[in-house]
Amino acid sequence: MAKDLCKTLADLKEDEVLAIVQEKLNAGADPMGILADASRAMEIVGNRFSKSEYFIPDLVYSGEILKKINELVKPKLTEEVGTKKGGKVIIGTVAGDIHDIGKDIVVFMLDVNGFDVIDLGVDVPAQKFVDKIKETSAPVVGLSGFLTLAYDSMKQTIEAIKAAGLRDNTKVMIGGGQMSDEIKKYTGADAFGKDAMVGVSLAREWTGTK
Amino acid sequence: MPVISDIRLNLKKNDILRREGFRGYTRIRPEIKNIVLELLESADSAHLLEPTTAYEIYPVTGMDPDKVLLEGDAVVSGSLIPSTFPEAKELAAIVCTIGPGLEKQVTEYSQGGETLRAMLLDGIGSAAVDTLVIEVCHCIANEASSRGLQAGSPVNPGMPGLTITEQGNLLGLARAGDIGVNLTSSGIMVPRKSTSLILALGPKMETWTQADVCARCNLRDTCPYTVLHS
Ligand code: B12
Ligand code: SF4
Repeated sequence: MAKDLCKTLADLKEDEVLAIVQEKLNAGADPMGILADASRAMEIVGNRFSKSEYFIPDLVYSGEILKKINELVKPKLTEEVGTKKGGKVIIGTVAGDIHDIGKDIVVFMLDVNGFDVIDLGVDVPAQKFVDKIKETSAPVVGLSGFLTLAYDSMKQTIEAIKAAGLRDNTKVMIGGGQMSDEIKKYTGADAFGKDAMVGVSLAREWTGTK
Repeated sequence: MPVISDIRLNLKKNDILRREGFRGYTRIRPEIKNIVLELLESADSAHLLEPTTAYEIYPVTGMDPDKVLLEGDAVVSGSLIPSTFPEAKELAAIVCTIGPGLEKQVTEYSQGGETLRAMLLDGIGSAAVDTLVIEVCHCIANEASSRGLQAGSPVNPGMPGLTITEQGNLLGLARAGDIGVNLTSSGIMVPRKSTSLILALGPKMETWTQADVCARCNLRDTCPYTVLHS
Protein backbone atom coordinates (compact mmCIF):
# COMPACT_ATOMS: atom_id res chain seq x y z
CA MET A 1 0.00 0.00 0.00
CA ALA A 2 1.28 3.48 -0.83
CA LYS A 3 2.58 5.45 2.14
CA ASP A 4 0.77 8.56 3.27
CA LEU A 5 1.84 11.40 0.97
CA CYS A 6 0.91 14.14 3.40
CA LYS A 7 2.96 12.70 6.27
CA THR A 8 5.94 11.81 4.08
CA LEU A 9 6.08 15.30 2.60
CA ALA A 10 5.65 16.92 6.01
CA ASP A 11 8.63 14.84 7.15
CA LEU A 12 10.57 16.11 4.09
CA LYS A 13 11.47 12.67 2.73
CA GLU A 14 12.07 13.79 -0.83
CA ASP A 15 12.80 10.47 -2.56
CA GLU A 16 9.88 8.71 -0.89
CA VAL A 17 7.53 11.59 -1.68
CA LEU A 18 8.39 11.58 -5.37
CA ALA A 19 8.05 7.79 -5.53
CA ILE A 20 4.60 7.96 -3.90
CA VAL A 21 3.45 10.68 -6.30
CA GLN A 22 4.68 8.73 -9.30
CA GLU A 23 3.01 5.55 -8.03
CA LYS A 24 -0.28 7.37 -7.49
CA LEU A 25 -0.17 8.95 -10.94
CA ASN A 26 0.62 5.59 -12.54
CA ALA A 27 -2.40 4.12 -10.75
CA GLY A 28 -4.56 6.87 -12.24
CA ALA A 29 -5.10 8.88 -9.05
CA ASP A 30 -6.71 12.32 -9.29
CA PRO A 31 -3.91 14.92 -9.66
CA MET A 32 -5.99 17.44 -7.72
CA GLY A 33 -6.13 14.99 -4.81
CA ILE A 34 -2.34 14.77 -4.84
CA LEU A 35 -2.05 18.55 -4.76
CA ALA A 36 -4.56 18.73 -1.91
CA ASP A 37 -2.46 16.27 0.14
CA ALA A 38 0.65 18.31 -0.67
CA SER A 39 -1.06 21.47 0.42
CA ARG A 40 -2.04 19.93 3.79
CA ALA A 41 1.56 18.79 4.21
CA MET A 42 2.82 22.33 3.59
CA GLU A 43 0.55 23.58 6.34
CA ILE A 44 2.14 21.08 8.73
CA VAL A 45 5.59 22.22 7.58
CA GLY A 46 4.56 25.83 8.25
CA ASN A 47 3.41 24.90 11.75
CA ARG A 48 6.60 23.02 12.52
CA PHE A 49 8.56 26.05 11.31
CA SER A 50 6.55 28.35 13.59
CA LYS A 51 7.29 26.05 16.51
CA SER A 52 11.04 26.07 15.64
CA GLU A 53 10.96 22.34 14.94
CA TYR A 54 11.96 23.20 11.38
CA PHE A 55 14.41 25.89 10.31
CA ILE A 56 14.61 28.24 7.34
CA PRO A 57 16.52 25.79 5.08
CA ASP A 58 13.92 23.09 5.87
CA LEU A 59 11.14 25.45 4.85
CA VAL A 60 12.83 26.19 1.54
CA TYR A 61 13.60 22.50 1.06
CA SER A 62 9.91 21.66 1.49
CA GLY A 63 9.13 24.20 -1.22
CA GLU A 64 11.65 22.61 -3.57
CA ILE A 65 10.04 19.19 -3.06
CA LEU A 66 6.64 20.74 -3.72
CA LYS A 67 7.97 22.22 -6.94
CA LYS A 68 9.06 18.74 -8.07
CA ILE A 69 5.63 17.33 -7.22
CA ASN A 70 4.04 20.09 -9.29
CA GLU A 71 6.28 19.17 -12.22
CA LEU A 72 5.21 15.52 -12.03
CA VAL A 73 1.53 16.37 -11.68
CA LYS A 74 1.33 19.21 -14.21
CA PRO A 75 1.14 17.07 -17.39
CA LYS A 76 -1.89 15.28 -15.92
CA LEU A 77 -3.82 18.44 -15.16
CA THR A 78 -6.23 20.00 -17.56
CA GLU A 79 -4.93 23.17 -19.15
CA GLU A 80 -7.17 25.41 -17.12
CA VAL A 81 -6.23 23.97 -13.76
CA GLY A 82 -2.57 23.72 -14.68
CA THR A 83 -2.02 27.44 -15.10
CA LYS A 84 -1.22 29.68 -12.16
CA LYS A 85 -4.40 30.30 -10.27
CA GLY A 86 -3.30 32.38 -7.32
CA GLY A 87 -3.08 35.76 -9.04
CA LYS A 88 -0.27 38.26 -9.38
CA VAL A 89 1.88 39.51 -6.52
CA ILE A 90 4.57 42.17 -6.89
CA ILE A 91 7.30 42.02 -4.28
CA GLY A 92 10.62 43.71 -3.56
CA THR A 93 13.03 44.90 -0.89
CA VAL A 94 12.39 48.63 -0.53
CA ALA A 95 14.81 51.45 -1.39
CA GLY A 96 17.82 51.75 0.90
CA ASP A 97 17.81 48.11 1.97
CA ILE A 98 19.59 45.06 0.59
CA HIS A 99 18.42 42.31 2.93
CA ASP A 100 16.80 39.81 0.59
CA ILE A 101 16.86 36.39 2.25
CA GLY A 102 13.46 36.88 3.89
CA LYS A 103 12.00 38.36 0.71
CA ASP A 104 13.34 35.50 -1.40
CA ILE A 105 11.68 32.97 0.88
CA VAL A 106 8.35 34.79 0.58
CA VAL A 107 8.74 34.90 -3.22
CA PHE A 108 9.47 31.20 -3.28
CA MET A 109 6.59 30.19 -1.01
CA LEU A 110 4.14 32.33 -3.00
CA ASP A 111 5.43 30.79 -6.21
CA VAL A 112 5.09 27.19 -5.07
CA ASN A 113 1.62 28.00 -3.78
CA GLY A 114 0.49 28.98 -7.25
CA PHE A 115 0.95 32.74 -7.31
CA ASP A 116 2.41 34.58 -10.26
CA VAL A 117 5.19 36.46 -8.47
CA ILE A 118 6.95 39.48 -9.93
CA ASP A 119 10.17 39.97 -7.95
CA LEU A 120 11.65 43.46 -8.34
CA GLY A 121 14.84 42.63 -6.39
CA VAL A 122 16.46 44.84 -3.77
CA ASP A 123 16.82 48.59 -3.20
CA VAL A 124 13.66 49.12 -5.24
CA PRO A 125 12.58 52.77 -5.67
CA ALA A 126 8.91 53.60 -5.01
CA GLN A 127 8.34 54.55 -8.63
CA LYS A 128 9.37 51.09 -9.81
CA PHE A 129 6.59 49.54 -7.72
CA VAL A 130 4.12 52.06 -9.13
CA ASP A 131 5.19 51.37 -12.71
CA LYS A 132 4.91 47.60 -12.21
CA ILE A 133 1.43 47.86 -10.69
CA LYS A 134 0.33 49.94 -13.70
CA GLU A 135 1.88 47.46 -16.11
CA THR A 136 0.53 44.26 -14.53
CA SER A 137 -2.56 45.35 -12.53
CA ALA A 138 -1.34 43.06 -9.74
CA PRO A 139 -3.80 43.25 -6.82
CA VAL A 140 -1.20 42.45 -4.14
CA VAL A 141 2.11 44.13 -3.35
CA GLY A 142 4.64 42.88 -0.79
CA LEU A 143 7.27 45.20 0.63
CA SER A 144 10.23 43.72 2.47
CA GLY A 145 12.87 45.46 4.56
CA PHE A 146 15.03 44.72 7.59
CA LEU A 147 16.62 48.06 8.36
CA THR A 148 14.68 50.50 10.50
CA LEU A 149 15.26 52.98 7.66
CA ALA A 150 13.15 50.66 5.51
CA TYR A 151 9.99 51.73 7.38
CA ASP A 152 10.32 55.17 5.81
CA SER A 153 10.86 53.66 2.36
CA MET A 154 7.78 51.47 2.85
CA LYS A 155 5.75 54.51 3.86
CA GLN A 156 7.01 56.47 0.84
CA THR A 157 6.28 53.57 -1.49
CA ILE A 158 2.70 53.25 -0.23
CA GLU A 159 2.24 57.01 -0.52
CA ALA A 160 3.51 56.86 -4.11
CA ILE A 161 1.02 54.06 -4.90
CA LYS A 162 -1.72 56.23 -3.43
CA ALA A 163 -0.58 59.33 -5.33
CA ALA A 164 -0.71 57.35 -8.56
CA GLY A 165 -4.39 56.56 -7.85
CA LEU A 166 -3.67 52.82 -7.50
CA ARG A 167 -4.13 52.27 -3.78
CA ASP A 168 -7.84 51.39 -3.83
CA ASN A 169 -7.21 48.36 -6.02
CA THR A 170 -3.96 47.28 -4.41
CA LYS A 171 -3.51 45.48 -1.10
CA VAL A 172 -0.12 46.02 0.49
CA MET A 173 1.61 43.69 2.93
CA ILE A 174 4.90 44.41 4.61
CA GLY A 175 7.43 42.13 6.28
CA GLY A 176 11.02 41.60 7.39
CA GLY A 177 12.80 42.47 10.62
CA GLN A 178 10.72 43.64 13.50
CA MET A 179 7.11 44.14 12.46
CA SER A 180 4.20 45.32 14.56
CA ASP A 181 0.83 47.01 14.34
CA GLU A 182 2.51 50.36 14.96
CA ILE A 183 4.81 49.87 11.98
CA LYS A 184 1.89 48.75 9.86
CA LYS A 185 0.04 51.92 10.84
CA TYR A 186 3.11 54.11 10.32
CA THR A 187 3.73 52.82 6.81
CA GLY A 188 0.05 52.74 5.82
CA ALA A 189 0.14 49.05 4.84
CA ASP A 190 -2.91 46.79 5.01
CA ALA A 191 -1.17 44.03 6.93
CA PHE A 192 2.20 42.71 8.03
CA GLY A 193 3.50 39.17 7.87
CA LYS A 194 5.94 37.79 10.38
CA ASP A 195 6.88 34.96 8.05
CA ALA A 196 6.45 33.65 4.52
CA MET A 197 3.46 31.49 5.42
CA VAL A 198 1.56 34.54 6.66
CA GLY A 199 2.45 36.23 3.36
CA VAL A 200 0.88 33.32 1.49
CA SER A 201 -2.26 33.40 3.67
CA LEU A 202 -2.67 37.14 3.15
CA ALA A 203 -2.24 36.84 -0.61
CA ARG A 204 -4.78 34.00 -0.63
CA GLU A 205 -7.27 35.99 1.40
CA TRP A 206 -6.91 39.12 -0.75
CA THR A 207 -7.16 37.32 -4.04
CA GLY A 208 -9.90 34.96 -2.91
CA THR A 209 -7.73 31.90 -3.61
CA LYS A 210 -8.11 28.74 -1.58
CA MET B 1 46.51 53.26 4.81
CA PRO B 2 46.32 49.57 5.65
CA VAL B 3 44.68 47.31 3.10
CA ILE B 4 44.91 43.58 3.76
CA SER B 5 43.80 41.24 1.04
CA ASP B 6 45.57 37.94 1.62
CA ILE B 7 43.45 36.89 4.57
CA ARG B 8 42.87 33.17 5.11
CA LEU B 9 39.48 32.60 6.59
CA ASN B 10 39.08 29.81 9.06
CA LEU B 11 35.35 29.16 8.67
CA LYS B 12 33.93 27.11 11.54
CA LYS B 13 31.06 24.66 11.15
CA ASN B 14 28.91 26.19 13.87
CA ASP B 15 29.34 29.71 12.50
CA ILE B 16 28.16 28.53 9.10
CA LEU B 17 25.19 26.62 10.49
CA ARG B 18 24.20 29.65 12.54
CA ARG B 19 24.21 31.82 9.43
CA GLU B 20 22.16 29.20 7.58
CA GLY B 21 19.46 29.76 10.19
CA PHE B 22 19.84 26.54 12.20
CA ARG B 23 18.97 27.60 15.69
CA GLY B 24 20.84 25.44 18.19
CA TYR B 25 22.80 23.95 15.24
CA THR B 26 21.13 20.57 15.63
CA ARG B 27 18.80 18.56 13.45
CA ILE B 28 20.39 19.47 10.13
CA ARG B 29 19.11 16.94 7.63
CA PRO B 30 21.71 15.09 5.51
CA GLU B 31 20.31 16.39 2.20
CA ILE B 32 20.94 19.98 3.32
CA LYS B 33 24.28 19.20 4.95
CA ASN B 34 25.54 17.68 1.68
CA ILE B 35 24.61 20.81 -0.26
CA VAL B 36 26.39 23.01 2.30
CA LEU B 37 29.55 20.89 2.03
CA GLU B 38 29.41 20.96 -1.75
CA LEU B 39 28.91 24.73 -1.80
CA LEU B 40 31.82 25.24 0.58
CA GLU B 41 34.04 23.28 -1.74
CA SER B 42 32.88 25.20 -4.81
CA ALA B 43 33.30 28.55 -3.01
CA ASP B 44 36.89 27.54 -2.48
CA SER B 45 37.62 26.14 -5.94
CA ALA B 46 35.83 28.95 -7.80
CA HIS B 47 37.45 31.61 -5.57
CA LEU B 48 34.11 33.07 -4.57
CA LEU B 49 35.55 34.47 -1.36
CA GLU B 50 37.99 37.36 -1.64
CA PRO B 51 38.27 38.61 1.92
CA THR B 52 39.70 42.12 1.96
CA THR B 53 39.76 44.91 4.49
CA ALA B 54 40.66 48.58 4.59
CA TYR B 55 41.09 50.40 7.87
CA GLU B 56 42.56 53.54 9.31
CA ILE B 57 43.37 54.33 12.94
CA TYR B 58 42.60 57.85 14.20
CA PRO B 59 43.77 59.32 17.52
CA VAL B 60 40.83 60.66 19.59
CA THR B 61 41.22 64.38 20.27
CA GLY B 62 38.01 64.95 22.21
CA MET B 63 34.73 63.41 23.27
CA ASP B 64 31.26 64.89 23.78
CA PRO B 65 28.22 62.87 24.94
CA ASP B 66 27.04 62.69 21.34
CA LYS B 67 30.23 62.61 19.29
CA VAL B 68 33.90 61.68 19.14
CA LEU B 69 36.40 64.12 17.69
CA LEU B 70 39.30 62.64 15.78
CA GLU B 71 42.64 63.93 14.55
CA GLY B 72 42.36 65.64 11.18
CA ASP B 73 39.00 67.30 12.04
CA ALA B 74 37.07 64.08 11.59
CA VAL B 75 34.01 63.37 13.74
CA VAL B 76 32.01 60.24 14.51
CA SER B 77 28.50 61.25 15.58
CA GLY B 78 26.32 59.31 18.01
CA SER B 79 26.32 58.50 21.71
CA LEU B 80 27.31 54.83 21.43
CA ILE B 81 31.09 55.27 21.52
CA PRO B 82 31.22 58.06 24.17
CA SER B 83 28.90 56.08 26.45
CA THR B 84 30.47 52.65 25.93
CA PHE B 85 34.12 53.52 25.47
CA PRO B 86 34.67 56.83 27.32
CA GLU B 87 38.38 56.04 27.72
CA ALA B 88 39.05 55.40 24.03
CA LYS B 89 42.35 56.91 22.85
CA GLU B 90 42.05 55.81 19.22
CA LEU B 91 39.31 54.64 16.88
CA ALA B 92 39.87 52.20 14.04
CA ALA B 93 37.45 52.81 11.14
CA ILE B 94 37.15 49.49 9.32
CA VAL B 95 35.45 48.15 6.21
CA CYS B 96 35.50 44.44 5.38
CA THR B 97 34.25 42.74 2.24
CA ILE B 98 34.34 39.31 0.67
CA GLY B 99 34.03 40.90 -2.78
CA PRO B 100 31.34 40.49 -5.45
CA GLY B 101 31.99 36.85 -6.52
CA LEU B 102 29.81 34.97 -4.06
CA GLU B 103 26.96 37.42 -4.44
CA LYS B 104 27.03 36.95 -8.21
CA GLN B 105 26.80 33.19 -7.83
CA VAL B 106 23.92 33.56 -5.34
CA THR B 107 22.04 35.67 -7.90
CA GLU B 108 22.68 33.06 -10.58
CA TYR B 109 21.31 30.27 -8.39
CA SER B 110 18.36 32.39 -7.45
CA GLN B 111 17.50 33.32 -11.02
CA GLY B 112 17.92 29.68 -12.05
CA GLY B 113 15.24 28.71 -9.52
CA GLU B 114 17.73 27.07 -7.13
CA THR B 115 16.49 28.90 -4.06
CA LEU B 116 17.87 26.53 -1.44
CA ARG B 117 21.36 26.65 -2.93
CA ALA B 118 21.17 30.43 -3.24
CA MET B 119 20.17 30.75 0.38
CA LEU B 120 22.74 28.32 1.71
CA LEU B 121 25.54 29.97 -0.29
CA ASP B 122 24.40 33.37 0.95
CA GLY B 123 24.66 32.03 4.51
CA ILE B 124 28.22 30.87 3.84
CA GLY B 125 28.97 34.41 2.63
CA SER B 126 27.53 35.94 5.80
CA ALA B 127 29.58 33.52 7.92
CA ALA B 128 32.65 34.52 5.91
CA VAL B 129 32.00 38.22 6.62
CA ASP B 130 31.59 37.41 10.35
CA THR B 131 34.85 35.45 10.39
CA LEU B 132 36.67 38.16 8.46
CA VAL B 133 35.55 40.77 11.01
CA ILE B 134 36.83 38.61 13.88
CA GLU B 135 40.18 38.06 12.20
CA VAL B 136 40.67 41.72 11.25
CA CYS B 137 39.72 42.89 14.76
CA HIS B 138 42.16 40.40 16.20
CA CYS B 139 44.92 41.71 13.98
CA ILE B 140 44.24 45.37 14.89
CA ALA B 141 43.99 44.45 18.59
CA ASN B 142 47.38 42.73 18.46
CA GLU B 143 48.92 45.77 16.85
CA ALA B 144 47.31 48.05 19.44
CA SER B 145 48.61 45.97 22.32
CA SER B 146 52.15 46.86 21.26
CA ARG B 147 51.16 50.50 21.98
CA GLY B 148 49.78 49.45 25.36
CA LEU B 149 46.16 49.67 24.21
CA GLN B 150 43.28 47.21 24.38
CA ALA B 151 40.54 46.81 21.79
CA GLY B 152 36.87 46.93 22.75
CA SER B 153 34.26 44.84 20.96
CA PRO B 154 33.40 46.15 17.49
CA VAL B 155 30.35 48.36 16.89
CA ASN B 156 28.44 48.85 13.61
CA PRO B 157 26.37 51.68 12.22
CA GLY B 158 22.80 50.51 12.81
CA MET B 159 23.32 49.89 16.51
CA PRO B 160 21.48 52.18 18.92
CA GLY B 161 23.56 55.34 19.34
CA LEU B 162 25.41 54.93 16.05
CA THR B 163 22.94 55.54 13.28
CA ILE B 164 23.18 53.84 9.96
CA THR B 165 23.52 57.25 8.30
CA GLU B 166 27.04 57.39 9.79
CA GLN B 167 28.01 54.67 7.34
CA GLY B 168 29.05 57.11 4.58
CA ASN B 169 31.32 58.95 6.99
CA LEU B 170 32.80 55.68 8.21
CA LEU B 171 33.50 54.46 4.67
CA GLY B 172 35.34 57.71 3.99
CA LEU B 173 37.38 57.38 7.20
CA ALA B 174 38.36 53.80 6.35
CA ARG B 175 39.04 54.75 2.70
CA ALA B 176 36.80 51.92 1.62
CA GLY B 177 36.93 53.05 -2.02
CA ASP B 178 40.49 51.68 -2.18
CA ILE B 179 39.13 48.14 -1.83
CA GLY B 180 36.18 48.77 -4.11
CA VAL B 181 33.51 49.22 -1.43
CA ASN B 182 31.24 52.17 -2.14
CA LEU B 183 27.92 53.52 -0.95
CA THR B 184 25.05 53.81 -3.40
CA SER B 185 22.87 56.93 -3.43
CA SER B 186 20.37 55.06 -1.28
CA GLY B 187 23.04 54.32 1.33
CA ILE B 188 23.82 50.71 0.50
CA MET B 189 27.31 49.25 0.49
CA VAL B 190 28.37 47.48 -2.67
CA PRO B 191 29.58 44.73 -2.88
CA ARG B 192 26.68 43.77 -0.67
CA LYS B 193 28.65 41.24 1.34
CA SER B 194 30.49 44.02 3.12
CA THR B 195 30.39 45.40 6.60
CA SER B 196 31.54 48.60 8.26
CA LEU B 197 32.61 48.84 11.86
CA ILE B 198 34.50 50.78 14.48
CA LEU B 199 36.94 49.39 17.00
CA ALA B 200 37.69 51.58 20.01
CA LEU B 201 41.23 51.31 21.38
CA GLY B 202 42.23 52.45 24.85
CA PRO B 203 43.73 51.45 28.18
CA LYS B 204 40.70 49.50 29.36
CA MET B 205 37.95 48.81 26.85
CA GLU B 206 34.65 47.05 27.31
CA THR B 207 34.23 43.70 25.53
CA TRP B 208 31.32 41.35 25.07
CA THR B 209 30.49 38.14 23.26
CA GLN B 210 27.95 37.59 20.49
CA ALA B 211 25.78 35.84 23.07
CA ASP B 212 25.87 39.03 25.22
CA VAL B 213 24.85 41.12 22.19
CA CYS B 214 21.99 38.74 21.41
CA ALA B 215 20.82 38.72 25.03
CA ARG B 216 20.30 42.49 24.78
CA CYS B 217 18.91 42.56 21.23
CA ASN B 218 15.17 43.07 20.86
CA LEU B 219 15.08 40.63 17.93
CA ARG B 220 16.43 37.74 20.01
CA ASP B 221 13.13 35.87 20.37
CA THR B 222 12.47 35.66 16.66
CA CYS B 223 15.94 36.00 15.10
CA PRO B 224 17.01 32.77 13.41
CA TYR B 225 20.66 33.56 14.14
CA THR B 226 20.52 34.15 17.90
CA VAL B 227 23.50 32.88 19.86
CA LEU B 228 22.50 31.67 23.32
CA HIS B 229 24.76 31.73 26.36
CA SER B 230 26.03 28.20 26.89
C1 B12 C 1 21.65 38.31 7.25
C2 B12 C 1 21.84 39.77 7.62
C3 B12 C 1 22.71 40.52 6.84
C4 B12 C 1 23.39 39.98 5.59
C5 B12 C 1 22.41 40.16 4.40
C6 B12 C 1 22.34 38.98 3.49
C7 B12 C 1 21.19 39.11 2.51
N1 B12 C 1 21.39 38.62 1.31
O1 B12 C 1 20.12 39.56 2.79
C8 B12 C 1 24.63 40.93 5.50
C9 B12 C 1 25.78 40.32 6.30
C10 B12 C 1 25.15 41.24 4.08
C11 B12 C 1 24.10 42.16 6.24
C12 B12 C 1 24.62 43.41 6.08
C13 B12 C 1 24.22 44.53 6.81
N2 B12 C 1 23.28 44.54 7.80
CO1 B12 C 1 22.23 43.03 8.30
N3 B12 C 1 21.32 41.60 9.09
C14 B12 C 1 21.18 40.35 8.75
C15 B12 C 1 20.33 39.62 9.81
C16 B12 C 1 21.27 38.90 10.76
C17 B12 C 1 19.28 38.66 9.30
C18 B12 C 1 18.28 39.18 8.27
C19 B12 C 1 17.75 38.00 7.51
O2 B12 C 1 18.07 37.80 6.35
N4 B12 C 1 17.01 37.13 8.17
C20 B12 C 1 16.55 35.87 7.59
C21 B12 C 1 15.06 35.86 7.37
C22 B12 C 1 14.67 34.60 6.64
O3 B12 C 1 14.48 35.87 8.65
P1 B12 C 1 12.97 36.25 8.96
O4 B12 C 1 12.85 37.62 9.48
O5 B12 C 1 12.45 35.15 9.82
O6 B12 C 1 12.23 36.22 7.54
C23 B12 C 1 10.84 36.13 7.46
C24 B12 C 1 10.10 37.44 7.70
O7 B12 C 1 10.94 38.55 7.81
C25 B12 C 1 9.11 37.50 6.56
N5 B12 C 1 9.29 38.53 5.54
C26 B12 C 1 10.38 39.11 5.03
N6 B12 C 1 10.04 39.97 4.07
C27 B12 C 1 8.71 39.92 3.93
C28 B12 C 1 7.85 40.60 3.08
C29 B12 C 1 6.47 40.35 3.17
C30 B12 C 1 5.57 41.07 2.28
C31 B12 C 1 5.97 39.43 4.15
C32 B12 C 1 4.54 39.19 4.26
C33 B12 C 1 6.84 38.75 4.99
C34 B12 C 1 8.20 39.00 4.87
O8 B12 C 1 9.19 36.25 5.88
C35 B12 C 1 10.52 35.75 6.03
C36 B12 C 1 10.55 34.26 5.76
O9 B12 C 1 9.74 33.52 6.63
C37 B12 C 1 19.62 40.83 10.51
C38 B12 C 1 19.20 40.60 11.93
C39 B12 C 1 17.82 40.00 12.02
N7 B12 C 1 17.67 39.03 12.85
O10 B12 C 1 16.91 40.41 11.36
C40 B12 C 1 20.68 41.92 10.35
C41 B12 C 1 20.23 43.39 10.35
C42 B12 C 1 18.95 43.56 9.60
N8 B12 C 1 21.33 44.05 9.64
C43 B12 C 1 21.59 45.22 10.12
C44 B12 C 1 22.58 46.10 9.60
C45 B12 C 1 22.76 47.41 10.32
C46 B12 C 1 23.35 45.75 8.46
C47 B12 C 1 24.46 46.63 7.86
C48 B12 C 1 24.01 48.03 7.53
C49 B12 C 1 25.62 46.56 8.88
C50 B12 C 1 26.86 47.32 8.52
N9 B12 C 1 26.96 48.54 8.98
O11 B12 C 1 27.73 46.81 7.89
C51 B12 C 1 24.87 45.85 6.58
C52 B12 C 1 24.40 46.50 5.26
C53 B12 C 1 25.23 45.98 4.12
C54 B12 C 1 25.16 46.81 2.88
N10 B12 C 1 25.60 46.21 1.81
O12 B12 C 1 24.75 47.95 2.89
C55 B12 C 1 20.76 45.55 11.33
C56 B12 C 1 19.68 46.61 11.07
C57 B12 C 1 19.59 47.56 12.23
C58 B12 C 1 18.77 48.78 11.95
N11 B12 C 1 18.66 49.58 12.96
O13 B12 C 1 18.25 49.03 10.92
C59 B12 C 1 20.20 44.13 11.75
C60 B12 C 1 18.83 44.15 12.41
C61 B12 C 1 21.25 43.51 12.71
C62 B12 C 1 21.33 44.21 14.06
N12 B12 C 1 20.77 43.67 15.11
O14 B12 C 1 21.93 45.25 14.15
N13 B12 C 1 23.07 41.83 7.07
S1 SF4 D 1 19.56 38.28 18.04
FE1 SF4 D 1 20.06 40.36 17.38
S2 SF4 D 1 22.25 40.53 17.73
FE2 SF4 D 1 21.80 38.35 17.77
S3 SF4 D 1 22.13 37.65 15.68
FE3 SF4 D 1 19.96 38.19 15.83
S4 SF4 D 1 19.89 40.33 15.17
FE4 SF4 D 1 22.04 39.90 15.59
